Amino acid sequence: MNRTKPALLLAALLATVAPRAAVAALNVVTTTEGLASLAREVGGERVQVTSLSRGVQDPHFVDANPSLAVRLRNADLLIDVGLDLEVGWLPPLVIQSRNAEIATGGRRRFTAASAVSVMELPTGPVDRSVGDLHPAGNPHFLDDPRRVERVAAGIAAKLGELDPPGAATYAERLASFRKRLGEAQVRWAQELAPVKGRKVIAQHNSLTYFLDWAGLSAAGYLEPKPGTAPPPSHVASLVGVARAAGAKAILVESYYDRRSAEVLAKHTGGKVVAIPGDVGGFRDEGGHLDPKDWFAYQDTLVRLVSEAAR
Amino acid sequence: MTTVCTLLAAALLAATQGTGNDSELEAQVARELGAAPAPGSQAPTGAQPPAGTRSPAQAAPQAVAAPAPVTGGNPYARVLLLPDISAIGRAALAWNTLEVGALSPRSDPYAPRHTLRPIFQELEVGLQAVVDPYARADVFLTFTPQGAGVEEAYLTALSLPFGLQARAGELYAPFGRLNQQHPHTWDFVDRPLALARLLAVDGLSGAGFDVAWLAPTPWFAELHLAYQAVTPGLEARQHDTGLARLSQFFDVGTASTLGVGLSAAHAGGSGGEAGRDVVGADVYYKIRPPQTRSSLALQGEALLRRAGDLPAGIAAAGAPPFDEAGSAWGGYLQAVLRDGAYASYGLRLERAPALGGGPELRASVFAGWLPSEFERLRLQAAYDVLPGGRTGVEALLALEFAIGAHGAHPF
Repeated sequence: MNRTKPALLLAALLATVAPRAAVAALNVVTTTEGLASLAREVGGERVQVTSLSRGVQDPHFVDANPSLAVRLRNADLLIDVGLDLEVGWLPPLVIQSRNAEIATGGRRRFTAASAVSVMELPTGPVDRSVGDLHPAGNPHFLDDPRRVERVAAGIAAKLGELDPPGAATYAERLASFRKRLGEAQVRWAQELAPVKGRKVIAQHNSLTYFLDWAGLSAAGYLEPKPGTAPPPSHVASLVGVARAAGAKAILVESYYDRRSAEVLAKHTGGKVVAIPGDVGGFRDEGGHLDPKDWFAYQDTLVRLVSEAAR
Repeated sequence: MTTVCTLLAAALLAATQGTGNDSELEAQVARELGAAPAPGSQAPTGAQPPAGTRSPAQAAPQAVAAPAPVTGGNPYARVLLLPDISAIGRAALAWNTLEVGALSPRSDPYAPRHTLRPIFQELEVGLQAVVDPYARADVFLTFTPQGAGVEEAYLTALSLPFGLQARAGELYAPFGRLNQQHPHTWDFVDRPLALARLLAVDGLSGAGFDVAWLAPTPWFAELHLAYQAVTPGLEARQHDTGLARLSQFFDVGTASTLGVGLSAAHAGGSGGEAGRDVVGADVYYKIRPPQTRSSLALQGEALLRRAGDLPAGIAAAGAPPFDEAGSAWGGYLQAVLRDGAYASYGLRLERAPALGGGPELRASVFAGWLPSEFERLRLQAAYDVLPGGRTGVEALLALEFAIGAHGAHPF
């Protein structure tokens, strides 16, 4: 009895300080809400998913808050976008977390960009005279259903690799996701059909993949170069560009300042449309996501763009 | 007893390295080997996956045409192995109404009295890379008008168990908040006077090692224990110094973060000179609604130093920067408003021990413009009050630029 008591006390002490085992098989941490939604789609109840950034945040500029390193400490899988989207904040968090297996190339790391073909890959000499570009290519591919399907497949494969007993479940859920994606694509194609070939003005080149998928294109960007502020001269030059292209829609993610867009709209007769930058891009206070998941996000994007570009 | 110890080791191992079958198997293997798993059992930051370990998704065919077969190997192989290389330059235009060098010594930029003087402060060259599957290295060389030197050069072990992380080499001491940050990350152009006079004029740093433990708490709590040969205060001689720091961060709602830290350093005597103890407390509170890049950050540090007998060198050079009792205190409080992506403003209030005893008080303001993430222009003005009521005005126009791949900085 005397020997048992210290052992029980020690066990109780360890239980208070040790990481708590989650009910779910895997604790998945993602860098964005969009990736979190995809992980929930294919992981279902076998995964507990947390996003490091909020949907209302510009994913380029998340604070490397040490509290986020605590979330990474016990992550069974880290899913990031890649292509240097998170280069300004994720690397120090991974180092602080002490979770070596979620480091780049680690067994518990899945970089979504590894599953997709990349657009806007610089082919010539690269320096920052062309703005704060991503040298590895454009990382904003999670609004393109073709690429999202590949990312979901990659997540399912990685989940199955880390949780073999759940592999069949992940495969089933992926098949279900693909089926719903196929049905949704029919609906989205119908919505976008009237505006196919139209041109729009965007704030940043974050809609490159979406526009390519939707059959639209960007006549110009409010940012003269990626990551730089639009000076009056650039906004003035965009007036002519927008008029010549017949671009009515000026698309601005909800986390950007809208003043330049509104001035442009005033001079072109166009319409400024606030679009969600991600799942939860309109409102995610207290965990209430709006749009609530990736399908709702894509629904919102298709609806807003098709209405504005008419 | 041996069995209990073995079980305890296995339980701790499981607690620190995750749950599930893998960890159980690893713990079992550790028991069978009679030791903890080798450090290479986990891949560190930047480590490349072994050949043939691509995930099914990575190996999946893409929508684009299959690439042509690669012949002759990768012509960029040497380039791929290069570390991240960066250079950060800092220069200023300074103007003062005081003879700063004689009355208010510091290493940060100042001009001769009533003279507008351009000053090149520093060029920092960074080399950062993973060393091998077990560690990474960060090297920062500094070039100033006084010469070239090593600002930091340390190895970080990435695969230690039990939430431990170790750094060894030349490094800034884990004391307070600003001391561990490189000057180009500071909000204000110069170092608070209290840090220069109570810690070290160019930052408390030196050769040694720092072991940090991330506690298994729901909030971020990190305990540092370090041992370094540092050059404190205005001295030229190194002291072997033991340091401890506890740093904690808490989320306060969804839009703000509170960080608090306690630090202590004990420097032993050196060459017949007395040792000294320094304790410090720091606080950082940042409010940043997630949908914006604007933020308000409040930050403060307070330091108390107790020194033994005056070092002979300092006594010979003039009055010491602490009072007769051998103790001194100082600190600063600052508020920095980041207004969107391109502008920032700050206010700082300071108290530091002055030369000859008594407090030196200073108030500073700055306005900054950031054309991009890689360039910054700041105009800073300060009003300095010395013991006896003597006052001075300082002005700095500081330019900063960064090129190359420079690793992101901790919060």
